[in-house]
Amino acid sequence: MRKLLTTLFCVYAVLLQVAAQNRTIKGKVTDANNLPVANASVVVTGATSGTTTDAGGNFSISVPANAKSLSISSLNFAPQQVSIGGKSTIAVSMAAKSNDLQEVVVTGYGTSKKSDLTGSVTTVKAADIENLPFSSVDKALQGKVAGLQSVAASGQPGASQNIIIRGVSSISGSNNPLWVIDGIPVNIGDASRLQTTANLLSTLNPNDIESISVLKDAASQSIYGSRAANGVIVVTTKKGKAGKTKFRFDTELGQSNTAYTNPAYRPLNAQEYVNITREGLVNLGVAQATIDATLASLGSTSGVDYNWLNNVSRNGTQQQYNFSADGGNDKTTFYLSGGRFIQEGTTINSKLTRTNFNVRINNKATERINIGFNLNGGYVSQRAPLAGGAFGNPVLSSYFLLPTRSAYNTDGTYNITNTGGLHNTIALTEWDKRFLRQTSLRGSVYGEYKIFENLKFKTNFGVDYNVLEEDQYNNPLHGDGAASNGRAFAYYTRYFNWVWTNTLDLQQNITKNGDLSLNAQIGYESQKSNGYFTSLQSQQFPPTLALTYPASGASPTTATASISDYSFASSFATAAINFQNRFVISGSFRRDGSSKFSSNFKYGNFYSIGGTWNIDREKFMQNNRFFTQLKLRSSYGVNGNNTAIGNYDALPLYGYGFNYNQLPGSAPSNVGNPILSWELNKPFNIGLDMSFLKSRVSITAEYYTRTTSDLLLGVPLSRTSGFSTATRNIGSMENKGFELTLNVIPVQTKNTRWDIDFNFANNKNQVLSLPDGNDIVNGSFLIRQGVALNSFFLREWAGVDAANGDPLWYADDKRGSTTNIYPGVAARVIAGNAQPKYFGSLATSVNFKGFYLQVSFYYNYGNKVYDTWGSYYLGSGFGAVYNKVARQMNRWMKPGDVTDIPKYIYNGNKNFQSSSTFYLNDGDFVRLRELQVGYTIPKEVLAKAKITSANFYVRGTNLFTWVKDKNIPFDPEQGTGSATNLNVFIPRTVTVGLNITF
Amino acid sequence: MKHNITTKLLPIVILLVTMASCSKSFVELTPPTSLTPSQALSTEADLLVALRGAYAGLRGVDFYGRSIPVMGDIMADNAYQSALNTNRYTFFNDYSTTKGCTAGDGNVLGMWTSGYSTILRANNIINSSLAANANIDQYKGEAYAIRALCYFTLVRNFATPYADNPAALGVPIVTTYNPDLKPGRSKVSEVYALMIDDLNKAYTLMTKYSNSSQFSKYAAKGLQAKIYLNMGDKTNAKAAALDVINNGGFTLVTPTTHAAYWASATVRTDKLETLFEVSSDAVANLAFDALSYLYSQAGNYGDLLCADDLYNSFDATDARKALYFPTTRAGVPVFGVNKYPVISGDLSDTKVLRLSELYLIASEASLPANEGDALTYVNFLTFRRGANTITSSGTQLFEDVIKERRKELAFEGDRFHDYQRLKRDITRSTNYPATSRSIPYSTFRRLLPIPQTEVDANPTIKAQQNPGY
Repeated sequence: MRKLLTTLFCVYAVLLQVAAQNRTIKGKVTDANNLPVANASVVVTGATSGTTTDAGGNFSISVPANAKSLSISSLNFAPQQVSIGGKSTIAVSMAAKSNDLQEVVVTGYGTSKKSDLTGSVTTVKAADIENLPFSSVDKALQGKVAGLQSVAASGQPGASQNIIIRGVSSISGSNNPLWVIDGIPVNIGDASRLQTTANLLSTLNPNDIESISVLKDAASQSIYGSRAANGVIVVTTKKGKAGKTKFRFDTELGQSNTAYTNPAYRPLNAQEYVNITREGLVNLGVAQATIDATLASLGSTSGVDYNWLNNVSRNGTQQQYNFSADGGNDKTTFYLSGGRFIQEGTTINSKLTRTNFNVRINNKATERINIGFNLNGGYVSQRAPLAGGAFGNPVLSSYFLLPTRSAYNTDGTYNITNTGGLHNTIALTEWDKRFLRQTSLRGSVYGEYKIFENLKFKTNFGVDYNVLEEDQYNNPLHGDGAASNGRAFAYYTRYFNWVWTNTLDLQQNITKNGDLSLNAQIGYESQKSNGYFTSLQSQQFPPTLALTYPASGASPTTATASISDYSFASSFATAAINFQNRFVISGSFRRDGSSKFSSNFKYGNFYSIGGTWNIDREKFMQNNRFFTQLKLRSSYGVNGNNTAIGNYDALPLYGYGFNYNQLPGSAPSNVGNPILSWELNKPFNIGLDMSFLKSRVSITAEYYTRTTSDLLLGVPLSRTSGFSTATRNIGSMENKGFELTLNVIPVQTKNTRWDIDFNFANNKNQVLSLPDGNDIVNGSFLIRQGVALNSFFLREWAGVDAANGDPLWYADDKRGSTTNIYPGVAARVIAGNAQPKYFGSLATSVNFKGFYLQVSFYYNYGNKVYDTWGSYYLGSGFGAVYNKVARQMNRWMKPGDVTDIPKYIYNGNKNFQSSSTFYLNDGDFVRLRELQVGYTIPKEVLAKAKITSANFYVRGTNLFTWVKDKNIPFDPEQGTGSATNLNVFIPRTVTVGLNITF
Repeated sequence: MKHNITTKLLPIVILLVTMASCSKSFVELTPPTSLTPSQALSTEADLLVALRGAYAGLRGVDFYGRSIPVMGDIMADNAYQSALNTNRYTFFNDYSTTKGCTAGDGNVLGMWTSGYSTILRANNIINSSLAANANIDQYKGEAYAIRALCYFTLVRNFATPYADNPAALGVPIVTTYNPDLKPGRSKVSEVYALMIDDLNKAYTLMTKYSNSSQFSKYAAKGLQAKIYLNMGDKTNAKAAALDVINNGGFTLVTPTTHAAYWASATVRTDKLETLFEVSSDAVANLAFDALSYLYSQAGNYGDLLCADDLYNSFDATDARKALYFPTTRAGVPVFGVNKYPVISGDLSDTKVLRLSELYLIASEASLPANEGDALTYVNFLTFRRGANTITSSGTQLFEDVIKERRKELAFEGDRFHDYQRLKRDITRSTNYPATSRSIPYSTFRRLLPIPQTEVDANPTIKAQQNPGY
C-alpha cells in the first residue's frame, strides 16, 4: 500500500513541476459553414480548466511548454483534439455532433462515455421537457423513452402520475421508479393526506432540468441496490457555463378543454330522462298513479333542463413564465432561475400554481478543489375537488344529478334542498375548501478533492425537504359538513430526507499505452428520511360560510401527531475495465442496510455485471463505410424493491389508539415477520446500438427479461388468530420485453433538416408462483400463476336477448350456454389486461429556414379499460333516480330489437349493472400528443436588438385522440389500474409560447 | 512526503470508518406509536390499557358497535329496512335466493374478524404471567367475561342452537396466540362449556364495579344466566338470574325515568338498569357507521324502522311505546325507533345486558314448573313499564313472557336469537319484502355462513361450512 501511495505521489509531484513554464496560443473556432462558434470550451488536453471562445469564435490560452494538444468542445458539436506542435495560432473547424458515442451520459453516481456503457440508459434532454403544459416532469416523459410507461389517472393540475419501466414487478409494493435528483434519492409520489391527488414532483420546475437518465437494466440500476428494481430516473439540474452571462426568458400561455369526449356518454337532458324513466316504470309494471307520482318526485314537472356536466366543466387556462441567467468565469460558474406556472383544470375547483427558484454555484477553489452548492425550491398551491365515488366529486355528480334539477333556485341562490339526496357540487365548489400548499427544497453542498490526477474524492450532503399544509372545510349548510354542522381539517406533513454520499473515483491505465484502463469507484452513503405528521379536525361551526379554519369549530374531534422514519446505510463500488475502447467489462456492488429490514436480514448485497463490444472499432470493420456505430452490450444482475415493506412491518407490535371512554387502550396491531426482506429482482439485458448511412439512421434494439422473486404478499391467516394477513416473502413474477428506438434523418441540408423518431416497447408479464399456488382475486382482477398480473377477471357478457330484452351472460367460463341469471363466481373469465401489450411514440420534426414543425403521436395497444361507474349511468334502470347517458337510449324496446342495451326497467333489469365484460372496453388509442409550429427569428434581425436568439410557436397538446373502441366512455388513459373513475378529465391544451435569450 | 500523503488521505479514511461504524444503530429504528408485545404487557398498568383495547374491540362496526344489535332484529321481525335506505343490511332484511346473504358477505366477515381479534386481546390478558393481585385479578376477570361474550356472539350466529343439537359444529376455540394455527370448528357444547367456565372464573376473580361500560361480577353472572337459558338449563339460568337480582345491587328503570334512561349516552355508575353496555364516546366512536345513524330519523341514514306489529303490541300506557314515533319515510307512514337517539358528540351506547332481561330470564326459567314465580318476575317488570299485568297461565303464559321479551329487548339484537333457541319459524309483517315474510326454522340462512375468506385461508374449516352456502 505504502509503495503504491509513494508512486502515486511522485507522479503528482512531476505533474506539478511541468506546469511551471507556459506559452500562449491564439485561435479561432468555426463551424462547417465557417461561422464563428462562440462559447466553445478550449482546454489543454488532460487539464481541467481552460478558456472559452468569444462571440467571434476567438480564443487565447496559456499552455504549458510540454502540452501536446488542445481539446475543444461545444454544445451541438463533436469534441475535437487539435495538436499544437510548434504553432502559436490555430484554426479549428467543428463538425456538427452526430448521434455520437463520445457523448457523455449521466449514470448512477457519475457519468460514462456512451461507448463505454454496458447498461441500458436512455437520456432525455432539456429541450424535450421544457415549457410543456404539464404540472410535473413525470408527465412530460410520456412517449419519450422506450419501455417507460407514463400514465395519468386524472387531469387535475398537480395530479400524481404512474410511471412503470419494463413492466410491473410488485404486487404489494410500489412499481414506481426511484428518482434521484442531483444525487439525492428523493421521496416521490403523493404525500398528501386530504387532497384527492398530489405529486411531490410538481414542485420541481422541468425548465430547471438539464438532463434525465432513465436506468433500465442491472448494469445501470444495481448500484442503487434495494431500491433499484423499478428502474431509476436520474435527474440533473442545470449548471452555469463559463463565459458571458446569458439571460433567457420563456413564456407560454394557453387554454384547455377535455381531450376526449364520447357523444354516446353525454348525460341525458330532462326530457330524455323523464321519458326513459317513464318507460322503466311501465316496464316495472306499476300503476299509472304511481308512475305519475314517481316522475313528479323526480322533477318531471319542474320545467328545468339543467346540464350539470357543462356547468362543472370549463375551459382551463395555462400560463408559465421562466427566467434564467447563467455564466461565470473559469473559476466560478452560476445558474439562477425563477419560474411561475399556473394551470387551471377543465373542471371547476381544480387549479395549481407553482413558484420556483433554482440556484447553483460552482467554484474551482484550486486546481484540486472544487466546491459547490445548489438549491432548488418550489412552492405549489393546489386546489383539487373530490374524486372517485364521493358525491362531492363534481364530475361524478354531474353524471348522477338529474337534469330536472338545477344548481340554482329561481331567485339565483343555490339549490341545496331539492337535489335528490345528492350534493349540489356547484354550491360546494364555492362553499367548501380544499387546499394544499406544498413546499419543496432540494439541494446539496459538495466538495471534490483531486488527490491525484486520477483519484478524486467527492463528498456531497443533500437534502430533500417537503412540507405539505392541507386545509379542508366542509360548510355547515350543505354537503359532507352538514351532519356535523360544519367541519374543518388542518393537516401538516413534513418529510426531511438527508443523504450524505462520499465517493472515491479512480481512473487508472493498467497498461502503459492505455490500451487497458480501469475506471473504479467506491462509496459510502447514509440516508435518513424523517416523516412528521400532525392532523387536527374540529366540527360544530357557526352557521356562516366565512369561518373556515378548525379554530372556529366548537368541538375538536381529531388532534394527533406522529412520525415515520426510515434510514439506509450503504456501501458501494463500481469498476469498468476498458480494452482499446473495443471491450468494456463492468461490475457494480452495493450493500444496503436499512431500518425497514428485519433483524435477520438487516443487510442485503446487490450486484451487476455487464459487457460491451464496440464492433465498429474492430480491425475487420476498418474498411466498412456503412456503419458509423455498431455496438453490442449485455448485462445481468440482482437488485431489489423494498417499497412493499412498511417502515416498521418486520416487528410484531402492539398498537395504541384502541381507546375506551377516552382512556388509552392497546391491541395487537402487527403480526411481524423476523425474516422479512426486500423483493429480489434479476434483470438480464442485451442490446444492439447501430448507426449507419453517415449516422442518418440510428437504431437501438434491446431485449430483456427480469425475474422477481421473494414477492411480498399478504398471506391470509385464519382470522381466528386475531389477524387477517401476514406479510411474507413468497411468490415470483417475470417480465420479458423488446424495445426499439429509431432515429432517422431523411433530409439534412444547409437550410432543411427533417427528423423522425420512433420508439416501441412490448412487455409480457407472467406471475410464476403464489402462496400455495392459490389464485388471489382482487376486486375485478385476478392474480394467478401462469397469467399476467392485472388481468381483468369478470363474468362474460353475452348480449341482449332479442326476444325479451333480458341481459345475457355466458353461464360458465366455457361459453357453452347463456343465461339471464347473473352467473355465479365460477363463470368469471380472464378478460384482458390493464397493461398494454405495446406502447411508444412516433415523432417527427422539420426545420426549414427558421420555421419548424414538430409532431408527436403516442400510441398504446392491447389493454382494457373498465368503466367503474357504468352500472349507474348505463345500468338499464339500476340507480333509477340518477341520470343516464345517451347510449342508454339504445335500449331494447320490443321483441326483435337487436341491440346491446337491455330493456330499461326502473331499479334495474336482472343484475345488468353487476360487473361483467359489458363494462370492459378496449383501451387502444393513438394520441396526437404534440403539434408545434414555430419560427426562429434570424440572428441578423436579432443582432440589432442585442438578442441572441428568439423563437415563438403555437403548440397543441393532446389535440386529437383516436380510440379503437367506440364504446369507451372516457379518456382511454386512466392510470395503470385502467379503470375510469370520473376524475378531472385529461386536458387538450393549445398554447402560444415565446423563448428569448440575450 | 509520506507525511503529506497521510494527511491527505487520513481524513477521508477516518470519515469512511466513522460512518461505517455508526451504521448498526443507524439502521435500527423503532416505531413511534407502537410497542413490542412484551413491552406493551409488562406491568399491571399495561394490562389495564390492554383491557380497554379489548373493550374497544367489542365496539367494532360489525360487532357490538352496530351489526350485532342490528342483525338480531332485522333478521327477525322487529327492525325492517325502509324503501329509502343506504343499502346496509339488505341481505339480512331479505332472505330470498337472489338477495340473501352469501359466504362473501362483508358484515359476516366483519363479525367473525371482530370476534376473534377481540378474543386475542382478551387471551393476551388472561394469559399474562404477571403475579396476581386484586387489580390483575379484576382485569383478568373482565377479560374472561369479554371472551365469553365474544364466543357467545359467534356461536349463536354461526352455529346450530345448543337447544337443537349440542353436538353440532360450533366455532373454533382459540385461547392462545398462534398466527399460523388453522383450527377447525369445535362442538357447540364445547364452546358453551368454555363460556360457562370463563364466566365462573370471571365471577370469582372480579371484586370491583367500575361502571356500566365494563364487566363486573354480576354482569358476568347475568351473562351466564342468559347462556344457561340458551342451553335450556333452566335451573342454572334461574339461579344465576336470581343471584344478580338479589345480590347485584342493580335497580330497574321506572316509567318516570324510562325516557331519560334511553336518551342518555353517558356511561352509568349508578347501577340503574345497565349490567353491561359497549361505550361509544365523543371521540372513539363509529361516526357515520354508528348504530344511532342507522336508526335515528334525525341523522343521515335512518334506514331501519320499527315493524308495525311490534308497535301495535304495546299497551297505550306502556312507557316503552314512547320510544317509537309515527313519521313518514319514502312517502309511507312508518314508525321510527328512538332507542339510540344521540348522533353527535358522545354517541348512544350499545346495551348488551340489562337487569330487565334477568327478570325475564328468571320468569321464563321458572316455567313450566313454577308459574307463580314466572308471573312474579315478569310482572315486576311490566309494572315498572306501565304495561298491563300478565295474568295468563300454561303455554299462554310462556308466550306472554316471550312477547314481553320482544317488547322489552327490541332493537337490542335479541329477538332473532329467541327464535333460534326456541327453534321457531319466523313470521314477519308486511313491512318486509313479500318473498321474505315466512322464514321457517329450517331456512339455511338462519345460520350465518363461515366467511369465504376464512374458508380460503383455513383448510381445516373448509369442509365445515354451514349447509346451503
